[in-house]
Amino acid sequence: MSDPQIAAMSRHEDEDRSAHPEMTGQVRSLWSDAWHDLLRKPSFLIPLVIVGLFVLIAIFPGLFTNADPEYAELSKSMQGPSAEAWFGYDLQGRDVFARTIYGARPSIIVGTLAVLLATLFGGLIGIIAGYAGGWIDSLLSRFTEIFLGLPYVLGAIIILSALANTRSGIGSFGIMMIVTLVMALLGWPLVTRIARSAMLAVKHSDYVQAARGLGASPVRIVFKHLLPNALAPIIVIATISVGTFISAEAVLSFLGIGLRPPVISWGVAIADHQNLMRQAAHPVLFPAAALTVVVIAFVMIGDAVREALDPKLR
Amino acid sequence: MGRYTLRRLLQLIPVLIGTTFIIHFLVWQLPADPFDGRCGQRPCSEAFIARMNEQFHLDEPFYVQYFIFLGKMLTGDFGVSFNQVPVINLIEDAYPNTLKLALVALTIEAVIGVGAGVMTGLKRGGFLDNLVLVSSLFLMALPIVVVAFFMKYLFWAQLGWIEPNVSTEVRWSELIVPGFVLATTSMAFIARLMRANIAENSSADFVKTAKAKGLGSGRVVGVHLLRNSLIPVVTFIGLDLGNLMAGAIVTEGIFNINGVGLTIFRALSLQDATIVVPLATMLVLVYLFMNLLVDLLYGLLDPRIRYE
Repeated sequence: MSDPQIAAMSRHEDEDRSAHPEMTGQVRSLWSDAWHDLLRKPSFLIPLVIVGLFVLIAIFPGLFTNADPEYAELSKSMQGPSAEAWFGYDLQGRDVFARTIYGARPSIIVGTLAVLLATLFGGLIGIIAGYAGGWIDSLLSRFTEIFLGLPYVLGAIIILSALANTRSGIGSFGIMMIVTLVMALLGWPLVTRIARSAMLAVKHSDYVQAARGLGASPVRIVFKHLLPNALAPIIVIATISVGTFISAEAVLSFLGIGLRPPVISWGVAIADHQNLMRQAAHPVLFPAAALTVVVIAFVMIGDAVREALDPKLR
Repeated sequence: MGRYTLRRLLQLIPVLIGTTFIIHFLVWQLPADPFDGRCGQRPCSEAFIARMNEQFHLDEPFYVQYFIFLGKMLTGDFGVSFNQVPVINLIEDAYPNTLKLALVALTIEAVIGVGAGVMTGLKRGGFLDNLVLVSSLFLMALPIVVVAFFMKYLFWAQLGWIEPNVSTEVRWSELIVPGFVLATTSMAFIARLMRANIAENSSADFVKTAKAKGLGSGRVVGVHLLRNSLIPVVTFIGLDLGNLMAGAIVTEGIFNINGVGLTIFRALSLQDATIVVPLATMLVLVYLFMNLLVDLLYGLLDPRIRYE
C-alpha cells in the first residue's frame, strides 16, 4: 500500500480481517452474528424506529397532516405555533408543520439514492482495483484521486451552478435527480478508497491463501471468500453516508443550488428564514430539528452497524 | 524518503492536471452562453462579443483554452475577470480571510478535541467519557447549517453578543463563532481519535516500561503517552486545513465573510468563469499539497513508518 494515510486508516480493519475466523457450519457467520448483535442494542433499535417513522412520513405524508404545504395565507405570516398549526406559519403564511412533513420525502429520496449510486459505482471500482492490482490498480487509483482532489462542497457548487441554466422546466423529479447525480458523482471516490483497501487486506489474508492452496477456483475465491469479507467496510461507510448525504443536500439547498421550489426542502426553509430569527425562530427551528433527527438517526445506525461488524470492538 | 517524495510529487501531476481540467471544463463549457445576461436586458453587441472572444480565447477549442489557462497559471498569471479586474486582486482580498477563518477553526478543534480526548482516554467509562462519546456523535452528525443556525440564534438573536454578519475588516474576535461552526465536525472527530489513541497506547509496552522505571505519572502521560498519541491527530489536523479552507464556503456564506468560498460563490452566480477557475484551482492546490505534506510529515513524526 503506497499511501500511508490509507494504511493508517485501514490498519484496524486489516487486523480484524486477519483475525476473523473462517466460517464454519457451527459458528454463525459474520453477518448473522452482527445481525443478532444489532437486534439487542437500543443504540441501533431506537434510531431504526426513528428512521422507520420518517420513511413512513416520506411515503405517506398525507397520513400525518391534512394541511396543504403549498397553501399560503399572507395574513398569517410568521404566526407562532398554535392548536391550528402546531409549528406555526412561515414568512409566506404557509403551515410549517405541513412543510416539515412534506420535506421528508425529497431529503430521504435524494440521500439514499445518491448513496446507493455512489456505493455501487465506487464499490465496484474499488473492488476491481484492489483485486486486479498492477497497472489496472494504478490507473483506477489515479482516476479516483482526480475526483478525490475536488473538495465536496466546492465541486458540488461548481457543477450545480453550471447546470443551473439547463434545469428550468424539469419538474420536481428532475431537480431531485440532478442533485442526486451530482452528490453521487462527488461521493463515489471515498467508497472506492475504502473498498480498495478492504479488498487488498482480504486478498492477502491467510484464509484466502489457504483456499487458493487447496485449489479453489478464482470464481469461488472471489464470491465465497473475498466479497463477503470485503463487503463489511463498504456497508458501514454506506450506512453512515446516508446521514451525511442528507446533511450535504440540506447544505446545497441552503445555498440555493440544490433542491428548490416546487420541491419542498428543509434546507431551503432554513435559508429563507435565517435572517428573520430575531422575530421568530419557529420557521427555522422545526425543519432544522427534523433534519437533525434524521441525520443523527442514520449516523447512529451506521455507528451501530460498524461496531457489530467489527469483531475487535466486542 | 527522497525517492518516496519524488514519486508522490510525480503522482500529483496527473491528479492536478485532471482536477484542474474538470474544473475548467465544468465552468467554461457547461453553461450554454458565457454572455447570457451580461449586458443587461438586451443581447450583447457584436463588437463586445468579438472583443471578449478575442481576450478570453473563446473561439479556440476547449482543450486549447485549457492549455492557455494552464500555461498562464504556471507563470503566475491569473488573468482578469470579465469586468477587467485583475483576479490576483480578488485573491489578495479573499485569501487571508479564508486562511484566518480556517486557522481559528483549527485552533478551536485542536484545543477542545485534544483536551476532551485526553481527559476521556485516561479515565474511560466514567460520566465524562460517556458524555463526550455521545456529544461527539451528535456533533459529527449535526448538519453545518443547523449548527450555524443554532449559534447565530444563541449569540445574535438571544444574547446579542455578535453581529449576524462579520465586518469587512474581519477581526479575529469576530471569527470565533464562525470558526467554531466550521470546526464542529472535526472537533468531535479529533476527540474520538485522541481518546482511542490514548486508550490504545496506555497498555503499550513503552508506557509499561516507563511506569516500571518508576517515572512519575505526569512524565509518563506527558512525555510518553501524549506525544505518541498525538501523531495521528497532528496529521489529521494538517489534512483538515485543506478541508476547512475548501469547506468554508458555507460558513462564509452564512456569516457573510469575504473569503475565497464566498468570492467563488458570487462569481458563479454572476457566471464569471474567469474568477471561478483560478480561485477554485488555488483551493484544490492547497488541498492536494496539504495531503502530500501530511503524508511526508507522518514518516518524520513517527520513525516506525518507513517508506520503501
